[in-house]
Amino acid sequence: MVRWQRGLWLFFLPSFGLLALVLLWPLSYAVYLSFFDYYLGSGERTFIGLGNYVDLLTEARLWNSMRTTIIIAFGSVAVEFLVGFALALALYRLHGSAKVFSVLLFLPHIVTPVVAALFLKWMLASNWGFVDATLLTFNIEPPDWLGDPVWAKVSVILADAWVFTPLVMMVLYAALQGLDTSLLEAAQIDGASSWNTLRHVIVPALIPAIIFVISIRLMDVFRFFDLIYVLTGGGPGTATETITIYTYQLGFRMLEVGKASALGVITLIVVAMLLLTINRGLNKAYRGGDR
Amino acid sequence: MAPLTIQQATKSFGGVQVLHGVTIDIDDGEFVVLVGPSGCGKSTLLRLIAGLEDITSGGILIDGKDVSRLHPKDRDIAMVFQSYALYPHMTVAENMGFSLRMRGAKSDEQRRKVGQAAGILDLDALLDRYPRQLSGGQRQRVAMGRAIVRDPKVFLFDEPLSNLDAKLRVQMRSEIRTLHKKLKTTIVYVTHDQIEAMTMADKIVVMRGGHVEQIGSPMTLYDAPANVFVAGFIGSPAMNLLKGRIGADAQSFDLDAGGALQFTSALDARPGQSVILGIRPEDVTLSDNGSPATVKLIEPTGADLHVNLDVAGSDITAVFHERLSLKEGQEVSLELPADCVHLFDAETETRLSA
Repeated sequence: MVRWQRGLWLFFLPSFGLLALVLLWPLSYAVYLSFFDYYLGSGERTFIGLGNYVDLLTEARLWNSMRTTIIIAFGSVAVEFLVGFALALALYRLHGSAKVFSVLLFLPHIVTPVVAALFLKWMLASNWGFVDATLLTFNIEPPDWLGDPVWAKVSVILADAWVFTPLVMMVLYAALQGLDTSLLEAAQIDGASSWNTLRHVIVPALIPAIIFVISIRLMDVFRFFDLIYVLTGGGPGTATETITIYTYQLGFRMLEVGKASALGVITLIVVAMLLLTINRGLNKAYRGGDR
Repeated sequence: MAPLTIQQATKSFGGVQVLHGVTIDIDDGEFVVLVGPSGCGKSTLLRLIAGLEDITSGGILIDGKDVSRLHPKDRDIAMVFQSYALYPHMTVAENMGFSLRMRGAKSDEQRRKVGQAAGILDLDALLDRYPRQLSGGQRQRVAMGRAIVRDPKVFLFDEPLSNLDAKLRVQMRSEIRTLHKKLKTTIVYVTHDQIEAMTMADKIVVMRGGHVEQIGSPMTLYDAPANVFVAGFIGSPAMNLLKGRIGADAQSFDLDAGGALQFTSALDARPGQSVILGIRPEDVTLSDNGSPATVKLIEPTGADLHVNLDVAGSDITAVFHERLSLKEGQEVSLELPADCVHLFDAETETRLSA
């Protein structure tokens, strides 16, 4: 080894220091706090070991918020992926001038999620909102978009999809650009229909991009907060209360900082396990041969 | 196996016309090579035959049936791509069987046909491998295997050897030739390499700028090139082409660049006529009394000696099969046999003598 290379680790220090400061320290502190009964109002901390975890895991509210999170996360990522992929394929087939559409389609993603949420809240407002007013002119009785437990979930899913589908579309469109076109031509000559070409040639070729986009979207959507907070605040009742909203309620409404930290740690573990499983599953499905 | 006819095929991309009424007749079982410099339209023509590009006007007939508006899958052709285009996530067997599977063949039929093709191409041991685990030559063979499992009427090859190293290219060249002898399927093969064209083809189609320059057997093209372009394109090293006028006695040739060449017998043209004179490097010999020349550069290839000579200010390349002890700067005299000379019209650049 050349002597100067020994000093290279010094270059690693600044970024590591920054990461430690903004990421590792708060994370470790949260893990540390999760072992304490710590009510922010009292200022006293009592070590209770896994007490917070036991409390949370035996509570119906945690499981309810977990279920809500999973419904919303998988619902919105599914919509984003299907619509985003369809749009990416459409863009891929379109010619030069029609590609202006890609910019228009990207607009919702440029808007800050909170602004997008406020905008959607006005759109979905009962009776006089754009959506209701439109439906009412056709004499269609609109549902209570944000007030009905089921429709509130649907609205939140569609709102997230509205903001993030363009991102999915762009990632997959970029991946399509890198596709070897002779593969598509070979499939054409081999007699594959459009559907079979998509299934046996295009999708397998895009697997790395698909894993990437699904992973970042799932990671993101499990931390999904701003849109829900503005649109429904977790309501009606706890119909749209995800883990993050529940964590927020615990920490900042009920000031149960220890318990909120424990919930944060649980979320981290759940998301990490989930992503590993999905990555493995997707990889296995397509790398293990085409059946 | 089927004859293939291309009738007055034209192709335009927007306002740019890249093929100008190409007509080629290919017999059943013939090995035809489309050759020409890049941009000559040879790959476009192949893609028209495959149906990967729409023909602008004209017709393509396979086995007497007009296929020019049919989908690629309905033309009964198979194609080997330059990049091989193997599906990266499928094994060799899956790659080769994909077209059968897409056409609804039963799995035991797929297995049987893939097994047969693998046997022909010596791929049996590789059937469970993925393309990324194969060498360039093996991938090339898999690409051919994928083409032959379907037993199509016509094989199309798009510069299939250009990604291989020189040694492997020579080996694959003879493998493709052997395969053709075995299968007797009509083949249209695109290359820019005239050596590939010469060694493999039954018939060569030389193209330039979207036009067919000449169609003929390799030796016809070599012995009687129809014009200056074909003369310069076929043969390696390229034919020496010199501009000038036939001398008054028809036995000499006055070079436009100055000076004259002497021939032992009369040239087959009018005295005073402006022509382009072509002579192949391998037809140039050394003699005691001929045109004086100076040795400029000597390139021994092992088997041959390529010598670059200066003759009255013009460059001439000569190839000698014997080992000569020449030195750069040495004065020699060249014999240019008049019966080996190719004469072309200076204006139209087309062949004058038969």
